[in-house]
Amino acid sequence: MSAESVQTAKGLERLIEALRVLPGVGPRSAQRMAYHLLQHERQGATQLAQALEAALARVRHCARCNNFTEDEICGLCRSPRRDPSLLCVIETPADLAMVEQTVSYSGLYFVLMGRLSPLDGIGPREIGLDRLIARATDGQVQEVILATNFTNEGEATAHYIAEMLRARGIRTSRIARGVPLGGELEYVDVGTISQALIDRRGL
Amino acid sequence: MSRRRVDQEPAYVLHSHPYKETSLVVEALSRRWGRVGLVARGARRPRSAMRGLLLAFYPLRLSWSASAELGTLTTVEWAGGQSALSGVGLMCGFYLNELLLRLLPREDPHEALFDAYAASLARLGAEQSPAEVLRSFERRLLTELGYAPLLEQEATSGVPVDPARQYRYEPELGPVPLQGSQGAQPATGICVVSGRTLLDVARDDYARPQTREEARRLMRTLIAQRLPGQVLHTRAVLKELQDL
Repeated sequence: MSAESVQTAKGLERLIEALRVLPGVGPRSAQRMAYHLLQHERQGATQLAQALEAALARVRHCARCNNFTEDEICGLCRSPRRDPSLLCVIETPADLAMVEQTVSYSGLYFVLMGRLSPLDGIGPREIGLDRLIARATDGQVQEVILATNFTNEGEATAHYIAEMLRARGIRTSRIARGVPLGGELEYVDVGTISQALIDRRGL
Repeated sequence: MSRRRVDQEPAYVLHSHPYKETSLVVEALSRRWGRVGLVARGARRPRSAMRGLLLAFYPLRLSWSASAELGTLTTVEWAGGQSALSGVGLMCGFYLNELLLRLLPREDPHEALFDAYAASLARLGAEQSPAEVLRSFERRLLTELGYAPLLEQEATSGVPVDPARQYRYEPELGPVPLQGSQGAQPATGICVVSGRTLLDVARDDYARPQTREEARRLMRTLIAQRLPGQVLHTRAVLKELQDL
């Protein structure tokens, strides 16, 4: 094999290896993607490379909500139509997008970019709880809504945030959990029904 | 190893981490097979039947087959009857899980330990004093693993522990009586406890605040002995939270 062909293969190998950083992409998918980009989508590949580079250079965390933005403060945080007295704490940008889709929340957000995970050594420092406390005690926020996941880690995160904010005189609330909208008991998982019974409320 | 099928085994999830594209590796504590590592195929897909059930601290019934170190989880059933942990109890639950993950080797069954774990979770869920629950579980765990601490007799001599005396606890030996002024300035890394505390711990009686405090240090020393050079993540995270 000539030196040249070895080098070409090296570039391909590096691309396959690089693609594997994507979630859900194993060696086989990575190889398929690499061949596709090189064979049929060379222009698309150039755009992808440029977009990646541009995003890495420009995208950063919003100084107020910690979500991704290209500005110091993101558009949502600057919007005059949002209610600055409400702050909703969520784990990820995907969760934010989900809450936004409801069109029933008009307050602001704080994105943790994670959750407490004591067994993995992920503590308050890793998810920037000090920044959240600073944000929530800015004098404008009246209520902090904790919308972390209903996993053990999400619950622990919500608990500690609530404790810290309560000690600083900020009202906190937790989103409700139970049987999903349109849910028929027969088809809902037992864990959810069990928790819905515990969390039942008077009518 | 021959292929083995386990059906509807009472178990708890201790921890899980992502595996391959859509799966999870679940570390579980089962009653008759001890700690097992199981692959939950497709458990991270949005519509997976296992998703939402593979949660720590809830009693489950797991079925799996195993022929290698990692088994394959086939079904997960909700066993129920245990209230969810919250707040401090939840944090204590993470700590118990970390102890089991670090100290208990895989496939080393201890049914009594499983029952003690289930009872500890129930007590944490009922918001009982977490300190008592943790201390008595720690002792149980060390005992089951063959490191039962000597509490009622002095090391080597076998003389009954005197509640009025102070002892230096040697992790490998047991309580050694302190001589006169020795108790005033114990060297670092050496755990000094009162005889009264040792006897209280032996009876699982943590009513006295001083017993709780000394027992905490004693157990910490004994556990550190089994985990040389390792830092318990849950303890570090809890400390960071308290400092905020």
